[in-house]
Amino acid sequence: MKKFFDKVKNNEFYKAWFKDAFPYITGAVLLSVFQIITYITTGSPWGVSGVFADWGAWIFRALGGSVDRWFAYSSPSAQATLEAGILNHAGSWRNIGIIVGALFATLMASGFKFKKIKSFKQVIAAMIGGLLMGYGAKVALGCNIGAFFSSIAVGNVAGWVFAVFLFLGAIVGSKLLVKFFM
Amino acid sequence: MSKEVFLDCLGEACPIPLVKTEKALAKLEKGDVLIVEVDHSCAMKNVPEWAIKHGHNVEIEEVEDGQWNIFIEKV
Repeated sequence: MKKFFDKVKNNEFYKAWFKDAFPYITGAVLLSVFQIITYITTGSPWGVSGVFADWGAWIFRALGGSVDRWFAYSSPSAQATLEAGILNHAGSWRNIGIIVGALFATLMASGFKFKKIKSFKQVIAAMIGGLLMGYGAKVALGCNIGAFFSSIAVGNVAGWVFAVFLFLGAIVGSKLLVKFFM
Repeated sequence: MSKEVFLDCLGEACPIPLVKTEKALAKLEKGDVLIVEVDHSCAMKNVPEWAIKHGHNVEIEEVEDGQWNIFIEKV
């Protein structure tokens, strides 16, 4: 058995497909092709963060709350999505697919590892960062996928505006990172 | 006499390993080797890329699943 795995490890196709990272250009082409397929099959552009908000709404409803009068869920189409349930929600399946796919890719490259949390500062930064990302993605009607990638792909000027401020935000974020984590 | 220096970047996410590598390498002399310990696969890509672009000699060793040592010899 060990011999077999040693042989796989040194196989050039294993290395190219699973072990080594794809070149940026390969990733870019694959993302473009799959976002076109997504648009055709589901009827709406690829988005990620909106799905998490929907999950939040479903959880809130499951706990007995009501989101019917919230602005984001008051439209008939948003109500229809919530009524249809998570199993009929293309975006939910896609997000689950992304998580499972990422795990699969990591396992295939034998790169899976439980990482230790280095400091309490990391925990605080992760929580603040997560909250800001979630809030920002909701008020901007999309994250760097829906409001940036997909938006530019369909020729929307808003995507380019988003891109400029994404870049500015990244600069500020990098400065903060160096200030607090170096 | 050239020396070897370890840089512990385990548990650090991008771009911290790269910034730390740049700072640590600046302090070393020509011929010294910096050994960057990382467990973040994106650091495994951008740290060697940066080092090669700046003309240093780079080798990567897989320590265990999901953990690597990046050897950078300052040129």
